Amino acid sequence: MAITLWVIFTVSFFLMRAVPGGPLDRERSLAPEIEKNLRERYHLDEPIWRQYVRELGNVVRLDLGYSFRLADFRVGEIIAQGFPVSASLGIVAMLFALSLGLTAGIVSAVRRQTIVDVALMLLATVGIALPNFVIAGVMIILFVFIWPLFPAAGWGTLGQLVLPGFCLGAPYAAYIARLMRTGMLEVLSQDYIRTAYAKGLPTRTVVLRHALKTAVLPVVSFLGPATAGILTGSLVIEQIFAIPGLGAHFIQAATGRDYTLAMGLVLIYTTLLYTMNTLVDISYAYLDPRVKLE
Amino acid sequence: MKSFIPYFAVAAVLAAIIWAVSFGTLPPADFTFCNGDEIKTVDPAIVTGAPEGRIINALFEGLTRWNPKTLEPEPAVAASWDISDDKLTYTFHLRKNARWSDDTQVTADDFVWSWRRFLHPATGAEYAYELWYIVGAEEFTTGKIKSDFSSVGIKALDRQTLQVQLKHPVPYFLSLVGFYPMFPVNQRCVRKHGYPAWTKPENIVCNGPFRLKFRRIRDRIRLVKSDTYWDRDNVRLNVIDALAVSSSTTMLNLYMTGRADWITTVPVEVIPELMKRPEGDFTPSPFLAVYYYVVNTTKPPLDDKRVRQALALAIDKQQIVDKVARAGQQPARSLVPTEIRKYIDYIPAECGQYNIEEAGRLLAEAGYPGGRGMPKVEILYNTSENHKAIAELLQAQWKRALGVDVRLRNQEWTTYLNSRRQKKYQIARAGWIGDYVDPNTFLDMFVTDSPQNHTGWSNTEYDRLIDFAQQEPDEKKRLAYFHRAERILMDEMPVIPIYFYVSTSMVRSYVKGFYPNIQDVHPLRAIWIEGKGEGGRKSRN
Amino acid sequence: MNTTHGTSLGQDAWRRLRRNRAAMLSLWFLAMLCILTVLTPLLPLQGPRLVDTSRQFAAPVVWPLVEPSMPAGGERNTDAVLSEGFGELGPVSDALLRLRMAMFGNWSIASICGTDKLGRDLLSRLCWGARISLAVGVVATLVSLVIGVSYGAVAGYMGGRIDNLMMRFVDVLYSIPFIFVVIFLITILSAEGIKEPLEEKYGINRIVIFFVVVGAIYWLTMARVVRGQVISLKHEPFIEAARTIGAGHGRIIFYHIVPNLLSVVIVYLTLTVPRVMLFEAFLSFLGLGVEPPDVSWGLLANEGVGAITPVRIYWWLVIFPGLALGLTLLALNFLGDGLRDALDPRIKDPR
Repeated sequence: MAITLWVIFTVSFFLMRAVPGGPLDRERSLAPEIEKNLRERYHLDEPIWRQYVRELGNVVRLDLGYSFRLADFRVGEIIAQGFPVSASLGIVAMLFALSLGLTAGIVSAVRRQTIVDVALMLLATVGIALPNFVIAGVMIILFVFIWPLFPAAGWGTLGQLVLPGFCLGAPYAAYIARLMRTGMLEVLSQDYIRTAYAKGLPTRTVVLRHALKTAVLPVVSFLGPATAGILTGSLVIEQIFAIPGLGAHFIQAATGRDYTLAMGLVLIYTTLLYTMNTLVDISYAYLDPRVKLE
Repeated sequence: MKSFIPYFAVAAVLAAIIWAVSFGTLPPADFTFCNGDEIKTVDPAIVTGAPEGRIINALFEGLTRWNPKTLEPEPAVAASWDISDDKLTYTFHLRKNARWSDDTQVTADDFVWSWRRFLHPATGAEYAYELWYIVGAEEFTTGKIKSDFSSVGIKALDRQTLQVQLKHPVPYFLSLVGFYPMFPVNQRCVRKHGYPAWTKPENIVCNGPFRLKFRRIRDRIRLVKSDTYWDRDNVRLNVIDALAVSSSTTMLNLYMTGRADWITTVPVEVIPELMKRPEGDFTPSPFLAVYYYVVNTTKPPLDDKRVRQALALAIDKQQIVDKVARAGQQPARSLVPTEIRKYIDYIPAECGQYNIEEAGRLLAEAGYPGGRGMPKVEILYNTSENHKAIAELLQAQWKRALGVDVRLRNQEWTTYLNSRRQKKYQIARAGWIGDYVDPNTFLDMFVTDSPQNHTGWSNTEYDRLIDFAQQEPDEKKRLAYFHRAERILMDEMPVIPIYFYVSTSMVRSYVKGFYPNIQDVHPLRAIWIEGKGEGGRKSRN
Repeated sequence: MNTTHGTSLGQDAWRRLRRNRAAMLSLWFLAMLCILTVLTPLLPLQGPRLVDTSRQFAAPVVWPLVEPSMPAGGERNTDAVLSEGFGELGPVSDALLRLRMAMFGNWSIASICGTDKLGRDLLSRLCWGARISLAVGVVATLVSLVIGVSYGAVAGYMGGRIDNLMMRFVDVLYSIPFIFVVIFLITILSAEGIKEPLEEKYGINRIVIFFVVVGAIYWLTMARVVRGQVISLKHEPFIEAARTIGAGHGRIIFYHIVPNLLSVVIVYLTLTVPRVMLFEAFLSFLGLGVEPPDVSWGLLANEGVGAITPVRIYWWLVIFPGLALGLTLLALNFLGDGLRDALDPRIKDPR
């Protein structure tokens, strides 16, 4: 973990500094003397290896100092404010994705080659096929203006949670539905399921008790990437719905060369992704008796 | 383990939803507006953008303040002032009842300390050059006089008298001290907490009509009326929310659903429809700002004046304004917006009108008849749908009129600025908003050693005229110098003006005290709400 | 068992696939799309870059279906007209375009999909955009496929310390927020002084960078999925059997395991192509996609979404790019399903 973070820190540190432009670039050019002073204040005048060591030290102490772009706040404060927002948005999106996706996947696998199956898979494909900014745009027109159920943007009420959560979760619901269907079909054709049917167990029991646990495996291994996807997808959704999460910070920090904030966010995202992947590995081993946890 | 996971998941979902919903338990604000992107800071000395300006204008107040209708400087912290006959010495008499939010008096010494801080090289104030009209200020900022502020022409004669000594007459100096970077900060507060900790809502001490209640990053800034502001009886809003929303579509959505009373910009695609609204709540008004292209005059073929002139003449600016900008902007033939004539007696010098034949002739004269043999030209713009559309249209116009091939390149903001500064471009999109109502704010950008001059263009006559204009006490002669300078600029064309911006604010009819003006400044202290009930309902359709 | 199965597997699968109507329909659709994409310059379309502001935001028209659209030639030669409408093209496209001019002259299909904010014909932009979008989808996916399958299969099969090490490496890569890297790579590589030599010497532009970067991201997921599958496969009796008759590791992996991964890989492939195309759209949303005047479907969709507002909806600007993306990806998915059913030897009777 520490090594992963260190590698990522190093890569991002040098990538950031290789990109033309720095955090002190503004539309109005600064007088050279002022710029010199600012560079000194932010230690940007030092040789790159000293900046590297300094920043590494800051990371180890978990204090990256102040953001360049949002100058009144420490990187830690920005993350502390944005993270819970992004996290709860992500959890709601995941809730949508899993509940819709698993249900649709199981139903279409069981009702294979019926109208229900075709309709669900068509819907799932539409979910996959459209960029989430298109889905969000259409949803806003439908449910904010034509049928005013939800507010257009903002954060803080249950209503404000539904649309962004759905738009963020929809593509993943669609993926999960497809993976689930495929996995389920595969399992349903296996001998032990046939045995279960042969014993005269009802479909419901067979599917939920016996097949689900194995069939859900591809979904589980998709959860890691799905989390990553929901995290990055939130960049778009947070911007469209004006939600004060980390996603919008991320783009702005990267394009605005906000070295400190960008670094903080990269490391946070890395930690998150790493944790999720580890959790997925553990649950994979726990769900599939054939995999031994090494 | 087995039974633990589902419970944990349910708990996480519940916690997430409850936490998110708890965010919304806020008493509503009287007035909500979309302020654009999240502001950089509330420290007056450091910022430059319009969103920051709106907040700082509400939190702090300078010696003068601008009339919301006419932009005339009015008495604010200074109750009155005397100007010497040579227009070089300004003596401000501060009012007794000007108070900080900790209920102490705003003194002349506060201004000396704040301006010292503003000018100090370590502060890194981007606007510091605005005070360089003061004797010794430039030397202090650039470190030529080390930490000795006594030679700078800013003195507190007593607790309530501030004297400022200028290098040369500055006709707009009274407006300038009402511009937000020149606002005072509370020295006890800044000293005690240090920068930037003093800007926290719990620490900040300010002297403006409103106080900072809280800041939620990228969500909102809540302002509440100050009970120590000297003119508090005329401030009618109690609670204001400034929403940090950057997308114009989101702003419009918030406005149309009644969640915002004022939005500062609207999506270009729907401007014609908005202008037709029966409510009449979208009326673009001229704005002291110009959209232009800068030309890098150091590289062929653009080092040839005739090529630059040909390109400029072949732009159908009317078409750009009508078809892309679409909000009734005026096509620009000068760098200084013509609208300035309503405020001061300056007539901008104009370049030639759209004329394809003349353009073709000039291009042929330069050796590229019909665009043949002309090296590729590239337009650089910062990533944005509007800049892209204008560049694409320009590309088509030049292709059609001159047979010139143009490539387009977009870069995100920081890279774009960097390319401009290092002259790694040929033609680049640019925009400039006047800081004050005077041609100087536009024209002094292009003197040879200006840090804003990214064109590589240098003209000694131009430099000389701008210098004369800045020294000249006589208003008429001064403006004549500027006119002559602009004539050179419009002949040499290191810049190609495209159009003059309009302000695209959209504001509800029940919002009163909101006046269109050339600086697009709408002080929150002057705004009030009247008859919201029926207005709100009507516009919801 | 698999060694004798090799050739008949393909024929068998094809026979089964042909019985699947949805899959065949999709296959035809995709084939048509590919042909169309290649032959785009030959079609009687308006110039995708032809700006005509008098027609901005024109709604789709159905009648008349054909109209003279090229600006009147006058004294100007064909070259100028062509390069204004179509930009600079490669030799093949240029030849096709000239052939089209010879065949149809000034006539082209009217704006049956409407026009955009600069009055450019959306139908033509969609067709030209298809070239870029499809190329991005297919090439980047193939890159990720090759890397991902071999990496995942090896890791999953070897197990133990090697697997651990290989997957640790994937984890490290996985945990990198790639958006960030993509933003940086694209800005670095499009900076002045780096961009020109790359473009002129090696013909590398933003799109090529895109192939590589995206390919490099998506193989990770592929590797993981494949590894997971291999782990559950390697204890199957037929693998044990192969091992007992003395097959080498390489042989077991690529002859016995990989063919059995086909269904998973294909399903994954049909998911990856769309994701790559969507990723391109996402980058367009951020302004980091293809550069105008080039177009892609993602760029068009993003422009369309900008035109959705509560005041006025230019529906054609969203619907048609959305439809193009949607139908293509739908077809890909159905084809994937069909192939899965056809290729999977374990499902003996699909009905």
